[in-house]
Amino acid sequence: MPAPRLRSRSLRKLYRKVPGGRTAIHFKRRKPKAPHCSNCGAVLKGIPRELPYKMRSMAKTKKRPERPFGGSLCSRCMRLEMIKRARQ
Amino acid sequence: MIEVGRLVTKIAGRDAGCKAIIVEILDDKYVLLDGETRRRKCNILHIEPLNQKIEIKKNASHEEVAKVLKDIGIETRQTKPKPKTQKSKAKRKTPDQLRVQKEEKRKLRDIFRPKKKEEKAETKEATLEEKAGLVEEKHEHKSEKEEIKPKEKKAAPKKETPKKKE
Repeated sequence: MPAPRLRSRSLRKLYRKVPGGRTAIHFKRRKPKAPHCSNCGAVLKGIPRELPYKMRSMAKTKKRPERPFGGSLCSRCMRLEMIKRARQ
Repeated sequence: MIEVGRLVTKIAGRDAGCKAIIVEILDDKYVLLDGETRRRKCNILHIEPLNQKIEIKKNASHEEVAKVLKDIGIETRQTKPKPKTQKSKAKRKTPDQLRVQKEEKRKLRDIFRPKKKEEKAETKEATLEEKAGLVEEKHEHKSEKEEIKPKEKKAAPKKETPKKKE
């Protein structure tokens, strides 16, 4: 029986074969939801889906695309926005 | 719309939203841009032409473009890398310098090591002397014993044998 704190389903279970031959259950935190475009809601690309402690150790350039609105708008929505601004 | 001197905005990529001038038309797909963006080749699908057109020569230099754009109020991006500041680089030492370095090191060694050596040497000498003395004594004892023992041994059997004979 796992420890009471591990019995909740907020942790994901990883079945791992251990050197002894038995399969052990490793409990790990779930990864956060993938970020979405604030305009169209599409899943943003170029953003790693990692736990905060890993994101903290990453470089800024590895965490979002290097363009205006990178990390908040998808590329298509950003282009439309730029065209809109140019035509005003 | 796409012609040399046309003011455009870049739509895609990290230069998106920057204004630039078409400097040269490379082929039916690509143009050469210069201005707020870097001086670079660009797909015409990635630019949005604006109403303004500026008269410049085809394939004008970056400085010319910068001059023209300054009149409109657009500051160009310096595409050329900045002149490098002279940093002190680790140079290889000449053989003479290496020799001097080695000599200095040796001097330092001489300053620091001999004390330890002397101490060690003294201790070693003392121990050696002691040992030597002991060893000599032991040897002496052994030699004496050895000298004595054989006599005794020799003497003893001689004594025994005659007794038996008697």
